[in-house]
Order: sequence, then C-alpha cells, then structure tokens
Amino acid sequence: MGSLASLTFTAPWLLLALAVLPVLWWLLRLLPPAPRRLDFPAIRLLFDLKPREETPDRTPPWLILLRILLAGLVILALAHPLLNAIGRSGGSGPLLLVIDDSWAAAPHWPLRLAAIEQRLAEAERSGRPVALLGTAPRGGSPFAVAGPMSAGEARRLVRVMAPQPWPTDRAAALQAIDAQPWPAGATAIWIADGVAAGPPDLAGRLALRLQQLGSLTVVREAPQRLALLQLPPTSDQTGATLRLRRADGAGALSVAVRALGEDGRLVTRQTVTFADGATEASHTLDLPVELRNRVQRLAIEGEESAGAVVLLDERWRQRPVGLVSGAGENEAQPLLSDTYYLSRALAPFGEIRRGNPLTLLQRPLAVMVLADVGALSAEESQRLGTWIDGGGVLIRFAGDRLAQNADNLLPVRLRAGDRTLGGAMSWTKPARLAPFPDKSPLAGLAVPPDVLVQRQVLAEPEPDLAGKTWARLTDGTPLVTAQQRGKGWLVLVHTTANADWSNLALSGLFVDMLRRMTAMSQGVVGEQPGAQLPPLQVMDGFGRLESPPPTALPADATVFADGDVGPRHPPGYYGRDNARRALNLSARVTAVAPLGGLPAGIAEHGYEAAGEIDLKPWLLTAALGLLLVDIVIALALRGLLSRRRVGVATAALVGLMVLLGAAGSAFAQSQSPKPQAGDDFALAATAQTRLAYVQTGVPAVDDLSHAGLVGLTLILQQRTAVEAGSPMAVDIEQDELAFFPLLYWPVTPGQKLPSPAALQKLNLYLRNGGTILFDTQDQNAAGAIALGQGGPGTSRLRQLVHGLDIPPLVPVPQDHVLTRSFYLLQQFPGRWAGGQLWVERNAGRINDGVSSVLIGGNDWAGAWAVDDMGQPLYPTVPGGERQREMAYRFGINLVMYALTGNYKSDQVHVPAILERLGQ
Amino acid sequence: MIPAESLQRRQRAEALAASLPPLLVAAERIAATVVQGVHGRRRVGPGDTFWQFRRYQPGDSRQRIDWRQSGKTDPLFVREMEWAAAQSVWLWRDGSPSMRYRSGPNLPEKGERADLLTLALIALLMRGGERVALLGSGVLPATGRAALNRMALLLTRAGTGGVLPVDSLPPAEHLPRHAHLVLIGDFLSPLPALEASLRQFAERGVSGHLLQVLDPAEQTLPFLGRIRFAGLEAEGETLLSRVETVRLDYQERLRRHCEGLAAIARTFGWSFAATSTDRSPQSALLALYLRLSAGSRR
Repeated sequence: MGSLASLTFTAPWLLLALAVLPVLWWLLRLLPPAPRRLDFPAIRLLFDLKPREETPDRTPPWLILLRILLAGLVILALAHPLLNAIGRSGGSGPLLLVIDDSWAAAPHWPLRLAAIEQRLAEAERSGRPVALLGTAPRGGSPFAVAGPMSAGEARRLVRVMAPQPWPTDRAAALQAIDAQPWPAGATAIWIADGVAAGPPDLAGRLALRLQQLGSLTVVREAPQRLALLQLPPTSDQTGATLRLRRADGAGALSVAVRALGEDGRLVTRQTVTFADGATEASHTLDLPVELRNRVQRLAIEGEESAGAVVLLDERWRQRPVGLVSGAGENEAQPLLSDTYYLSRALAPFGEIRRGNPLTLLQRPLAVMVLADVGALSAEESQRLGTWIDGGGVLIRFAGDRLAQNADNLLPVRLRAGDRTLGGAMSWTKPARLAPFPDKSPLAGLAVPPDVLVQRQVLAEPEPDLAGKTWARLTDGTPLVTAQQRGKGWLVLVHTTANADWSNLALSGLFVDMLRRMTAMSQGVVGEQPGAQLPPLQVMDGFGRLESPPPTALPADATVFADGDVGPRHPPGYYGRDNARRALNLSARVTAVAPLGGLPAGIAEHGYEAAGEIDLKPWLLTAALGLLLVDIVIALALRGLLSRRRVGVATAALVGLMVLLGAAGSAFAQSQSPKPQAGDDFALAATAQTRLAYVQTGVPAVDDLSHAGLVGLTLILQQRTAVEAGSPMAVDIEQDELAFFPLLYWPVTPGQKLPSPAALQKLNLYLRNGGTILFDTQDQNAAGAIALGQGGPGTSRLRQLVHGLDIPPLVPVPQDHVLTRSFYLLQQFPGRWAGGQLWVERNAGRINDGVSSVLIGGNDWAGAWAVDDMGQPLYPTVPGGERQREMAYRFGINLVMYALTGNYKSDQVHVPAILERLGQ
Repeated sequence: MIPAESLQRRQRAEALAASLPPLLVAAERIAATVVQGVHGRRRVGPGDTFWQFRRYQPGDSRQRIDWRQSGKTDPLFVREMEWAAAQSVWLWRDGSPSMRYRSGPNLPEKGERADLLTLALIALLMRGGERVALLGSGVLPATGRAALNRMALLLTRAGTGGVLPVDSLPPAEHLPRHAHLVLIGDFLSPLPALEASLRQFAERGVSGHLLQVLDPAEQTLPFLGRIRFAGLEAEGETLLSRVETVRLDYQERLRRHCEGLAAIARTFGWSFAATSTDRSPQSALLALYLRLSAGSRR
C-alpha cells in the first residue's frame, strides 16, 4: 500500500521502473536522433571528408528531457495512481460491506453510495468477493448476508439499495453475521449512519464482531453532520411548537423547516436554531390558524430523510366541530339562527359539520356544540358520554329549550327556568362579565366592557361550583361552567349562542372563547378502538410519500400508541382518505445519539473525501500527446517536414491533442449527465409563432419547403398581423409537434415512412387542433385519394398516411372559411394551377372548425419559395405573376385559417343572416 | 487502336507544348538583350554587308552589275558582299539527374538554368545566322524558326528521358574540324573522366566552350548539423555528423576541382566560365556569346 498524501498507487512496485530513467537518459544521450537526409549533387567532393573536430552530434537535452518525461508518465500511469483514494484495505479474503440503510443514512445517501462504489471498485480490481449486509430490517425478506459474490453483482445490488424509513436493527445484523462462516482474512467495512439505535453497547458489539472477522473500517460522518430528527409539533392554545433533535451539540446550527400544504405548496418556512451545546431546539410556529390548518407536512430543508419529516393529520390540522341546533335551521332569518354566530366564529379553525348528535358521532369529531338543545335521548346521552370520556369536548349553549327541559348531560345542575336581568319587570341591570378566574382555561382573555348578559340559566349551588366555573358575571353568577369527564370536557355556556339573551355572541370574545375551548379537545376522538387502518401512503427513507408496499400491514391503535414503526408499519398515512392518521418515525425514534462504544483499533473514515480520481487515463493521454509531439520533432529533425508542412502538422497535432483531451475528460467523467437537447427546440419553437415543415430527409425537398415558408413568412409580415419567426424544420420522429399551428408536409416519393410512435404523435397532434397541409406536388393528382389513382406523390401519400387518423375529405366547398379567411379566393394555385384542394368534410364542431388535414398537389412551397434576395425561385405554371400572387394569397388564407379558426365563418353565413333579417 | 497509349502520348505532347513557349520566350527574351556582334568572314561571298567592287568579268551574271558604280566610270563593276558564312555550332547541356537539383524553393534547378541558357544561345546563334545542332541528337546543324522549335522540344523532352542522352559527360561524336562546341553542365564528374571525354573533341580541332552551372549550396555548403548526404546519380551516401566543420575543406576541394577544370580547358585552348543559379542568366549568356563570337573571329 503506497500512499503519497492523498495519492495512492494501485501497483506501486511498477514505480521501481523509474530507476531505469537514468539509464534511458544515458542511452538517449548516446544515440543521437536519426540524421537529416539530403540529396546533394556534389557528393563526390564530400566523400572521405574528415571533419576537423570530431565531436559526435548528441541528442539535444530538451529532447532527452521530453522523452524521459514521456517514459516517466507511462511508468506512473502503469502504476495506476488514484487521487483521494480511500485507504486500501488489506487482506485477501471476502470483503463484507455492512451498510446502515436506515433513515439516518438518507441525508447523505449519494455520498454513501460513492463510498460503497469505491470499495466495490477496489474489490473488483483485486478480484475479491464481496458480501453485503444491510442493517435496516426489510419488509418481506429475512435478515441475511448477501454473497459472497463478485463485485459487479454486488454493485447491481447496491444500486437498488435505498435507505429505509426506520432505524437499524443491529442485533439482527449481528445474528446474520454469526449465521455465516467467514474465512480468515476477511475484511469488514461498516458504512455506518452514525446514529445509535437499540441498546447502548450494541454498536460496540457489532464492531467487535466485525473486527474479529479480520479488520474493520468504519465509515461515518462527523457528529455535526449526522441526521436531524424532527418530532411532531406540540400544539397548545397559543400555537404549535416545532421540535428538532440532533446528535451532537457542538456549535450553533440553524436549519429551516418548511411547512407544506396538501398539494406540496409552501405554507411557511421557519428557521429553527440549535443553541451551542444544545441537542434540542424548538420554535413556535407563528402562523395564523387558517394557515396552520393547511399544513400537512413539516420537513427540514435540505435534510432528506424520513426522520426530518413529520406528517400531520386531522388531529393536528383541523378540529372537526359538530354543530347541533335545537331549532331547525332558519334560512329566512339567519341572524336569528342559533348556529349562525357559532359557525362564523368556528370556521377559521375548525371544520364545521352539522346534523344531529348521532350522525355527527359517526365520524371522528373533536368538538361538538349543542346550541340550545333541550333534553337528549338516552342513547344520545350515552353515546355523547362515551365520546366525551374519550376526549371530546361538548359545548352546550343555553336557551329557552334548555332552560325548560334540562337533561343531566351538564357540568352543573340547573335550576328550572332562567333568570332575566334588566327586563321591564326587573330592577337589575344587564350584567357584565367579570375578569376570568386564573385557573380557568379562558384566563387572560380581555373582557370587553360592552358585553352584557340579559338572560341566563342558573346553576344550583353546590360545593365545587366555583371550581367548575370558567367565567362568571360581575355579580358572581357562573356564565361558563365546565366539568372534565374522562379525557374530555363538558362545557356549558349559560346563555345563548345567538343574540337573544346576550350580546356575547356578537363580541370578539366569543371567538376567542370558542378557540380556547376547541383547543382543549384531544383532536379527533371517536375512532373505534380496535379498528385496523390500512396503509394509505407511506414514506420512503428520504421522506417521500409513495404508495404502500405489499409488506405494509394495516395498523391499529396500539401501533400508533407504541410507535411500532418498522417494515410492517412504515411511517406514513393510514386509514381512509377522509379520515387518515399519520404515523411518524418520531413515534419510535425520539432522540438521536451518535454511535458510541466502538472498540479500539478500528480504522475510521469520513464521507467527506469525496470521489477518488483515477489518474491513469489522464497520464496515458498526456503520454500519448507527448509521443505525438516527439514524432513531429523527430520528423522535423530528420528534415522530413518542409516549412509548409510544419504548419499543417502542428495544426493536426493540436487538433489531435484537443481531441485526446476531450476523450480523456469524457473517459474520466463518463458519468456526468448529458444536457437535454429538446429544450432548445422547444424554446425556439415557442418564443415566436413559426411556420413549420416536415423534414422529408430529401435535401432538395427540404430546401424547397424552407425557402417556400420563408417566402410565405415574408409576405405574411408585409400584409398581415402575423409576425412569424423564421420557419423551422420538424423531425416528426423526434421533435415535439404541439408547438406548431400548421405543418407543411411535402409528400414526395423517397421519403421514409413514419414509425408507429411518430404516427401516434401525429394522430395526437391532429386530434388536438393541429393542421397539416399535405402537398403531393404532383398537380392534379390530389383527387386520387378518392379515385384510387394518381401521381407518385399521391401513392406515397397513401402509404405515409396509412395509420393516420384522416377524417373523410371533400373538395373545398365554395363557402368554406378557407375561401375568405383573409382574401376572397375560389382557387388555390401553387406552382401548378388547377389541382383540387381537399379538406375535412365535417370540420364544424371540433378544433374550432379548422380542418385537421388539407391535401393538395399544387406545390405551394414552389410558388412561395424565394431566394436570399427575396426573388422567386421557380416559375409558376402555366405562369404569370398573377398565379404567384394567388398562391401567396392562398398561403395567407391558410395561415389565417389555421390561426383564427372559424372567426371568419360568420361572414360565410352573412348572406343567410341578411336574408333571414330581411324577412 | 491502342487508345490508352496514344492518349497518353498526346497528353504528354500537349503538356510539352504548353511548357515550350515560356521556355522559348524566355530564351528569346534573353537572347534579344545580347547585342549581336559582327562576325563576317572578311571574304567575298554571299552576305548582306558590302565588301568590294570589282571589274566585270565575262561569266558574271549581268544582273550582278552595279549600275550606279558603273555609271561613274567606263568599266563595269560588280558589287561583292562579304561572305557571311554560317558557322556550325554544336551544343550540349548536361541532362543527368544531378542537374535536377536546387537548394531553395526560390532558385531554379541547375538543369532548368542549363536548358534556358542552351535554348537562349541557340536562339541567339540562329538570329546571327549560325547553324546549330544539339550534340547527341543525331540531327544535322540547321537554322531557322522551325529548327529552334524542334530543338526546344528536344531539350524539354530530354528532361523526361527523350532522345538526348542523359549522361553527365558529353557523348563522343564525330564533329567536323573547327566546329564550335558549347558544353553546359555542372562538370562535377571526376577530372580524369572529364578530361578524357573532352580530349576526344579537342584532338579533332574542335574549339569548345565550357560553362559550369552550379547551385549556390554547392558552392558554399551552407548546411548545419548531422546530415546524411546522398548522391543523385547513385554515387552512394555519406554521413557527416557536423557539416559545418567540413565546410572549409569542401570549399577548398571545389575550388581545386574548378581550377582543374579550367586548366583542362586551357590545355585544349578552350574557354571556361562558371555561373550559379542565383545569378542572372543574361550575364552568363552574354559572356558565352562574346567568347563564341571571339572564337569565330579568330
């Protein structure tokens, strides 16, 4: 294992060959380069001519240096140097890769994959078998070591590996390792997620076992880079608090938490800061209730793992509030309705449902408001009682019916009848509200002075009445009483929910009171205890929702209570679409701690040293380049390059080296993604309206089409409001057609038939409003579709459109829109005149009346075609500028027709309309 | 019949024809710059230049009587012109592979320069009315535009392996006495071989002129470093580890070779001159022509 800082050689013994370089130097010095060869007529005079000083010609030093460098490069390349190589692991036995594929591995998964890939590449080079073991349990398959197998096979397995949305099970991994015999010399590499899971000494035991196999290298992140965990936000009356956990408290850390709505829209983005030394952070989600209710998902920004995501369900999001009115809904006088003010007050933070108590309880419900409901039936009382015990909040408002006919589902016993304050027969004045008692959940709410209570129901005095009282009037009579029953509350407001008895319902205090009371609820209450909730959507290790795998099982309440997150119950949504429940990873994992207790003598690496660089191709490329330079120099020294050829040779050499460099970089970066080529086309096609023609693959025809459309574009610019860009060629096999309102398709023999995929695309294009002008360019033969005979273009057309969705065609009727969409025309000459133009028969309803297909044979492009100077390219037959003008007019009509549809068809009907008006 | 072959031949002919006019034009342009010297035979004979009047003798053609001169005195006079007899000049230029050499892209090959000088000299001589033949071509001396074209064709074709011999030494051929012979080449062959070859001509009384065409690199050996030199005529190879160290020795050797060459020429009573491809062809041509005319005047 030779290592030079971060440079490592795979075959370091080859470096010994560098010792040969001095010998090479000496040899090269001795052996001069081949002499120039020169023809010389007076050679007879040169024979036997002895030079005066006999100093042998030597190779120039710079040339020796070049060649030594070349040889050195080759030797270095053969030694196969790797930059930033991970320390080579020794041993010759199998390589065991223990991969923590838990949620905590998700945030830096690509780095992990790169590290694994390097290990595999190394194993591949040394031909070692590889065994794989993922430590996260997997749904459906038992824990087992995969392999030993070849590195290539292992690579295929690793490529399909993905982090699981639950913690590792290292105890099971340990068993799996023990279950298999290991030959001596095995090497273990633990690609760890760095997070402790299970008993504290488990990681140490696993490490020890792995070390006993041979040697162990642990690859893990620095504690500061370990995965973050988000706990479900706590919710109280004032708002929600985000809670985050991290493994290591060193340094302050700020992360952003994104709150996303149902459709993935960002609701808010809050920055949560871990103080220095703290492993926990919390942040109050400062959000209006309306927005808060929209939040579906809280995710730590830039941290893609199941642990960084908290899914929210109805319990957090919305409090379903059931409204029950004693009186029937009074649509005519809504302001007198019992529930009008209630629904207005509750709407911002609750989902309001109406109905009678029994129907409302069929669905989970957080709060139920009974507005002046008198006696409840026994069944209703019993069901409501159970619901309250389970955590429901029942808020009752008094009223005439309750005052007369009270039942026992009340926090206090009521006196029969009610009390009227400030009436005509009373000396007392309407009472104001006293400040709320400190122990009351309503404490702290400002009491507006103008709230007056004129009538109320009265509670029988009892010892604990004061304890049950949440609000009282200035004279001490309770206005709001409440009683806790089970997990829920039973609240009675001693006045009405409308403005009959008091103007409380008109005040802002009413809204605040209801909000506080609603917040007391436990969320959704009312699920059946033993109900099995099927998985609806589950998270993968990266925290993305996906459809549940077959191994995910329905969860019951115990799963949610115990936080039994694992392969059987992946985190995600369970239940039904309208009543789903979120199971978060944080139900099981409530803290992250760094991996600890590893035995001594373990090599450790981080993931930071990203990407080893194989220098071999670069070195070989450089050596090849030097070789080429040397060849040129040698040729020049021998006089084989004349001055003129030196330039050519140098240019060729430079070109070759650039090519080599490109090839080298392509070799080295063979995995870099290719840029998308289609974007340019789309951008060019959509930035302007453009005429387009179908590329036939026959250069002459394509040039003609282009020239023709250039001419038409020119005329369009001169005469109409259509300012089209320069025409584009469209390859129907590859390009997107949807950008073009009109396609010109010259049909000539010798063009390729479209593939089935292209036909499908064309059909889609025609169906969705595209228009194609088929030009068979073989005058007079267009009718042959019907007649079954025609020119060469027509027969090719028949083959081309086989499989296209061509509607029934007719010759252009006299009153067709095409005849008057811009100019009034009756004939459509092109380069030829007289051919028939065919259009769709019933183009009335779909595509705004534009025929999807036009077929003719007049070679319009030929008539439109202009050269660079704007001069026509081809004569028209039978001739005359008038025919060309008519051809241009047809082109303008056609473009107008394709762009504006039946806009001008009204004019077609003008005579009929006038006639009708006249009568 | 044999379309490929005939086509090939025709193509080559066309290529030659295309390359001919520039060579000819260049040669004629150079020839035109050289002032034509007088070289009458100082005897009565056919010619353009007046020589003397003599008394009419029976047998002379009556048409030859110069009536203007005869009118002045009693006897009849006949105008005689100086005999401007055309001389036969044989030319040879070295067509061996060693002439296909140039040391820089801006210099002509030695062979090109030799061709150019030869052709220019031919044009010049023909303008002077001389009869010219290419040594080794087997064609008798001739004059006139057609002959010039023919010789230009021969010269160019010789470069591609035609009729003219491509030895680095002039072919032994029987020349008439007192004929003129102009030899253009690099004369880098060993001196004994050269002397033996030239002696054949000298013994027959042929007066010769040697023009040595060299490349500047051959004169100075400007190379540096380790070079393996190879001959162009399969002479072999030699490796010099540091060329710059032997440069002085080489120049000394070359000087001695040239001196030897000049000595041979002197022995035979021939003229010798040297030029290099980086110098203008006109000066070399002028010098050669002057020596030729001097020789004819002798």
